Amino acid sequence: MNKTLLGYVPTESPIYMIHPFVKLFFMLIVSLFPMFVSAPEWNILLMLILILFMWISRVDMRTLKTYVPVAISMGSIIIISYVILGGTHPEFQLIAHFLGINIYWERIRDAIVVYFRILPMIFTMVFFLSTSRERDVIVAMRTIRLPFVVTYVFAMALRSAGMVLDDFQIVRQAEQARGLDTAGKSLVYKLRKYVMYMIPLFALSLRRSEEFTNALVARGYAFTGEASKVKRADYILTHYSFKYYDAIFTAVISLTFIALLVFRYGYQYFSVDESVLLTWLRNLFF
Amino acid sequence: MSNQIASKGMPMTTKEMTAEQIWEVQPGERRSVGVIHIVITALLIGIGFVVGAFGSITFPLGFGVNFFWTGIAVQQIGSVWFGAWGVIAGTIFPFFSNAISGTPFYISAAYLPANFVQAFLPAWVFRRFKLDPRLKTRRDYAILLLAMVLSSAFGALWSPLVVLKGFGLLTTDSLPLFIWGWFGGNVVAGLVFNFILLKALSAVVIRTPAFVKRWWS
Amino acid sequence: MSVIIELKDYSWKYLNTQQPALDKINLQIEEGMFVGIIGPNGSGKTTLAYSMNGLIPGQYNGIKNGEVIVYGREVEQYDHGQLQKIAGMVFSDPEAQFTAMTVEDELVFGLENLGMSIPEIRERLEWVTELTGLEKMLLKPPYELSGGQKQRVALAAVLAMTPKILILDEPTTMLDPLSRRRVFDVLAKLKNEQHNTIIVIEHNLENLIPLADRMILLSNNKLILEDETQQFFQNMDLLTKEGIYSPGALRFFHKLKEAGYTSDTLPVTLPEASKQLKQLFS
Repeated sequence: MNKTLLGYVPTESPIYMIHPFVKLFFMLIVSLFPMFVSAPEWNILLMLILILFMWISRVDMRTLKTYVPVAISMGSIIIISYVILGGTHPEFQLIAHFLGINIYWERIRDAIVVYFRILPMIFTMVFFLSTSRERDVIVAMRTIRLPFVVTYVFAMALRSAGMVLDDFQIVRQAEQARGLDTAGKSLVYKLRKYVMYMIPLFALSLRRSEEFTNALVARGYAFTGEASKVKRADYILTHYSFKYYDAIFTAVISLTFIALLVFRYGYQYFSVDESVLLTWLRNLFF
Repeated sequence: MSNQIASKGMPMTTKEMTAEQIWEVQPGERRSVGVIHIVITALLIGIGFVVGAFGSITFPLGFGVNFFWTGIAVQQIGSVWFGAWGVIAGTIFPFFSNAISGTPFYISAAYLPANFVQAFLPAWVFRRFKLDPRLKTRRDYAILLLAMVLSSAFGALWSPLVVLKGFGLLTTDSLPLFIWGWFGGNVVAGLVFNFILLKALSAVVIRTPAFVKRWWS
Repeated sequence: MSVIIELKDYSWKYLNTQQPALDKINLQIEEGMFVGIIGPNGSGKTTLAYSMNGLIPGQYNGIKNGEVIVYGREVEQYDHGQLQKIAGMVFSDPEAQFTAMTVEDELVFGLENLGMSIPEIRERLEWVTELTGLEKMLLKPPYELSGGQKQRVALAAVLAMTPKILILDEPTTMLDPLSRRRVFDVLAKLKNEQHNTIIVIEHNLENLIPLADRMILLSNNKLILEDETQQFFQNMDLLTKEGIYSPGALRFFHKLKEAGYTSDTLPVTLPEASKQLKQLFS
């Protein structure tokens, strides 16, 4: 199994055939698709395609379960924002009046549009994080020629996040070994304890900064001076080559995006008025 | 960097140092940008990523807005101690912590100005007004609190108003909820964490080579 | 053999401390030597190591007196990153030295800092992985390895840069006896085949003594004793007084000598001790 940013993917997964740059490009461009698509059925289709891609890539689909609460809370917020806090609009079509709140069709429609815009954007991010190893992200960044210091800081930050999580566990276990148990305690108590965790976490990271710095300097890394101007060989990129299908995927993603824009702005496709789902829903209410 | 600070009569221990002395570059003192600053930026991003994600997942309002955002401590304290490096880290890490908690890529990117101001303002007031990071006087507390409030107010206006409304994710009528949510989530968390962390760790931090007196070194 | 490291009346005091960490150290290390540095905790061993590879004063604030000369130049005269290519350093905590995602990336990092080309990197990588037995671990994350494997990676990462001087600061502190043995096997190979100048700070002397040409004792921030290994360990009373826990065989023979059973030079290694014991019995 290979460890990705959001779990594990089998080593035999076809996703590893694809150059990391293509995965990053996919995430950046496909995240934009929902911004230009108002008709929810198209965004739902995009979500299904992303789920299919995750299945093909042999991602553990239980990863999606982690985001169910996020999806629910986001949906709730959108409904509250649009429907309950949507305000009074005599120009809109009133569906119901409930506990002093006017429920308008246009607000429900807009809430649905927004919700099904956000979900595929989240799915795209989840797909990227589930199928990308830390090394893949760095390779993608080096491929687009980001300065070495940027990619190195990113790599070190990921490493550091893992260490902070380990430190947090150790501090918690140490406190539990001394009889501390936050179960059943008040929120204020738990917050106080959380604050006390932060202090050793910071202190450990500070100590680590000195050790990391010494290790980097000891291996000849310099941020300033002549040593910093050395041309780096980017050895990591030798393990990854751009294949013909990577070029095809990149072209397909780009052309799909262009086609989307053409149909959206040239032919008014994907708009709210063209939506079959919204039309059907509207007919349900009226 | 073999400096002769002690031979020129500067107090040896941090206990004896005044707030002005903490921020002042002493005559003959050489300070330069080094690898340690790159490392500290990376480590702050790492801590912020974990702490920020915890807040985003535990107390979500939606779209990266949280009722109680624990990452504010790393954002603001990191920049007080480490100057521009802390500001860079404080601007960048919410991007990653939001991503993990499900905020779409471009929304997280659009929050960057808000995160920048939230990180920058406390760092600026400490240097501008020569506040003591160990929080010795009421003036230190008061100005820090003001910086926290003002920076969170900017963030609260920028993020829901410009970002979320701009992306069409909120209605005008629901904006106050998100504005207050962002503002309250940052200020309350800041009140809980910032003062304690500064008091507990500043004395140690200002003795380390990573501590930044100016903006970059 | 020429002197490549020289400390002349060298003192270092960290900022915000009362006492100097090193006090008027005078020391010469010749090329190709294997030097062991021992002493109680807080005696200045790590400070000495950092001073020889430029981490002090490069990364630390403090007050320096005297000189540290490496290959004829004062350490402060080297540009950023230059001295570290000559004097490589391995630290005691391998975990704190890893910033890359895989063992391979960790090993290659230093080579990229040197500006080497891809073919050169490949060749060097093959050499160092064979030397340290890391061929099968290249794609693993370094932080998922065992303690001994981690330290071998840390060692390999520095060795790959082929520094002329190799400084190891308590490299086996966190290792079990077998892993410790493996690390010293690599050092033995380096000594015998590559003829590097190797400086090792260690508490565990069993593995160090057979390899060391010279030993240095630091105590209370001063250089107390420096001599060829054999002669060094004849000063058992001093070593014991300074809290140095010598190998069992050495202590045994010291007791025998005190009791008048032998007046010979104390053996510093097990084979020597075994030989002397046979002679005693015969």
